[in-house]
Amino acid sequence: MEIDTGMEQEINKAAIAFSLTSALWFALATSMGMVAAGYLIAPDFMANIGWLQFGRIRPIHVNLVLFGFVTPGLLAAAFYYVPKLGRTQLFSQKLGVYNAILWNITIAIGVVTLSAGYTQGREYAELIWPVDMLIVINFALVIVNLVMTVRSRKEPILYVSIWYALAAVVLTATTYCLGNVIWKPSSGALVGIQDAILLWFYGHNIFGLLLTPLSLGVAYYVIPKVTRNPLYSHSLSLVGFWGLLVVYTHIGTHHLLQVPVPTWLKVISIVDSVAMVIPVMVFLINIWYTVKGKVGEIHADVAGKFVFAGTIFYFFVNIQGSMMALPQVQRVTHFNNWVVGHAHLGVLAFAGMTALGGMYYVLPKISGKPLYSHFLADLQYWLVLIGSGGFTVVLTIVGLIQGNAWLNGETVYRVLPAIQIYYVLRVAIGFLILSGAYIGLYNIVRTIFFNPGAKA
Amino acid sequence: MSQEMTPKAIIFGSLLILAAVTFVVVLWPYTHRHTAPSEIYRQRTALEESGRKIYLANGCVYCHSQSIRTIDWGHGAERIAQAGDYISDEPVALGSARTGVDLSQEGGEHPDDWHIAHFINPRYTRPNSIMPPFEWLGMENIKSLTAYIQSLGMKGADKRMQRQRHWKEQVATAYEAGPAHNIRWLAEHVPEGWRNIPNPYPTTPAGLARGHKIYQDFCLGCHSPIGDGMGPAQPWIYPPPLNFTILKGREISGGIIYYQIMNGITGSAMPYFKKELESEKIWDVGNYVAEYFINQSDANTEPKGIDASYEP
Repeated sequence: MEIDTGMEQEINKAAIAFSLTSALWFALATSMGMVAAGYLIAPDFMANIGWLQFGRIRPIHVNLVLFGFVTPGLLAAAFYYVPKLGRTQLFSQKLGVYNAILWNITIAIGVVTLSAGYTQGREYAELIWPVDMLIVINFALVIVNLVMTVRSRKEPILYVSIWYALAAVVLTATTYCLGNVIWKPSSGALVGIQDAILLWFYGHNIFGLLLTPLSLGVAYYVIPKVTRNPLYSHSLSLVGFWGLLVVYTHIGTHHLLQVPVPTWLKVISIVDSVAMVIPVMVFLINIWYTVKGKVGEIHADVAGKFVFAGTIFYFFVNIQGSMMALPQVQRVTHFNNWVVGHAHLGVLAFAGMTALGGMYYVLPKISGKPLYSHFLADLQYWLVLIGSGGFTVVLTIVGLIQGNAWLNGETVYRVLPAIQIYYVLRVAIGFLILSGAYIGLYNIVRTIFFNPGAKA
Repeated sequence: MSQEMTPKAIIFGSLLILAAVTFVVVLWPYTHRHTAPSEIYRQRTALEESGRKIYLANGCVYCHSQSIRTIDWGHGAERIAQAGDYISDEPVALGSARTGVDLSQEGGEHPDDWHIAHFINPRYTRPNSIMPPFEWLGMENIKSLTAYIQSLGMKGADKRMQRQRHWKEQVATAYEAGPAHNIRWLAEHVPEGWRNIPNPYPTTPAGLARGHKIYQDFCLGCHSPIGDGMGPAQPWIYPPPLNFTILKGREISGGIIYYQIMNGITGSAMPYFKKELESEKIWDVGNYVAEYFINQSDANTEPKGIDASYEP
């Protein structure tokens, strides 16, 4: 890579629109998370407000984080680096902006339908059929824009970030249709245990084929840029890319190890969950060797800090994930808050921080204006870092208490008083993440609008 | 090397991998989907099906699993989940967390009135519960939701519900015959050996403190903080929770109290607590009720056998 043509990039309205989308829904998603966490310490909090009750807020929180915050944030960066790496312009800014508008309308409809109780009742596949269709259309528009950009490129060599961006949107558009059983609009589900098998194949691939490849694409772009080091190895990036696609797609059934599904399917999911160490370590070796000797540059750049922290959390979440797929470990960790901690480590600490880093990296370039406040971005970095790290520690402790107590023969009810204090801590730490999200929203809005700064 | 990566290679290559994997881990199990119904399987009624819709619409699945594992010995592994239990579930609601209890065999564990009080506010029947209240659903929805919960476990649940209905009639008749008859009837349904056993442990401040804690965590939603049976669940429950203050001089031994807490009174809203309370906790809360509400305890009276080593 490192092809700086000096070609002036136009103001990238598509990337700006996706950045604003991400920042806005990050704030709302964490607000929903706070409400949900509030119910766990005070269940009569906002009692009997149907559309705000826990069982409806939780899927709103999850869907907003996945499709409102992290995905658009990572796409904002992709809308910048794909044309940049191809030494060309984005195929259509107009299409990108309309895409972002439609994206927001889709998410808003999703929120309203979920809070009104319209749901497919399947984790990560809650959104009802019309919203599913809108999501698929959104991804199709992204595919058109990115593929046409790649086709019009002037640089023949495709850099690894582009592989990940293209694969992520194409594969997610496909698995989204599959996982939501899009050919059965009435239920959006299969019947019986087969439904669980399909659901977790899909559910895990939201992480494995959407958030992870998009995040890796950002890391592969931002880390060499910030350190001004060439990528350590192009061969490793090839192994990592194909390895990730082969291995990650097999492992969804590790959510069903304690359920009556065929044993051979469980074995595949366990073996491949452990094998995830290979593509993950290949990526991390590649990225961390690229950083070698330049940690100072990372430290000096808030975007680099976010993305680099993301890669460290990627290490932890994957080692943890491989471990959790082992049946003996899962006897303790399944069904409790350990898994919730794992999800926050992956989606917020790894993919979320990477998305924020990607946005902070591209914001000055896509808007032609300097970041409104480096201090606020740095503050947000520490809030989200401490918040997501602390969150994971607290939830892991809760999970260990629950899991071991249950294995020891305690009932769910008997363990509740023991974990209440940790639910309080979770809310307290959640305030850090919440503040970080609103500070980020303010900073990003001020960078794009009402920005008094000179051109960077 | 990277020159080999063309847009076509990326898009079609990754789609090919996805197709191959989907064939192995989704399509292959799907084509072998013809699962035989399990021995407890039955179809749901229209009312139960409408209750299931409410269950799904309100995200009950996020806190309640419907799948008992071999390792769930403390949760009641009377029946381990089988694939044949789920053959008409669309979508399947296995759940991924136990913020609340597993519900796969919940049908018939409690009578309907217990569930209704619990939906109005879960803390009415379970003081430490962290489940949100569902009064806002309205009574009609609460009733279909209750019908669905009572169907969980299918044929097994039907058997338990039949037992609940049988004894509900009996406990209601006994209650309507007046307190004297009711208390005698309740005592008569405790096995004779238990009736003759006094509480073998002496009343101590520590024991009463333990009893107080257990009473707060498990009992006061129905029996109220002063033991008069007028807890917040009372308006929803029939026959109403027992008023302990009328038991004085009616030959209620420690053994009777112990047995009723341990075993519950099927048909009434009184659940069994043998899964949640160890022996000492049952004796302690029983003595707490005897000392404070009945104002008459047979603790540490004969026959009592050899003193336990901790006794003062």
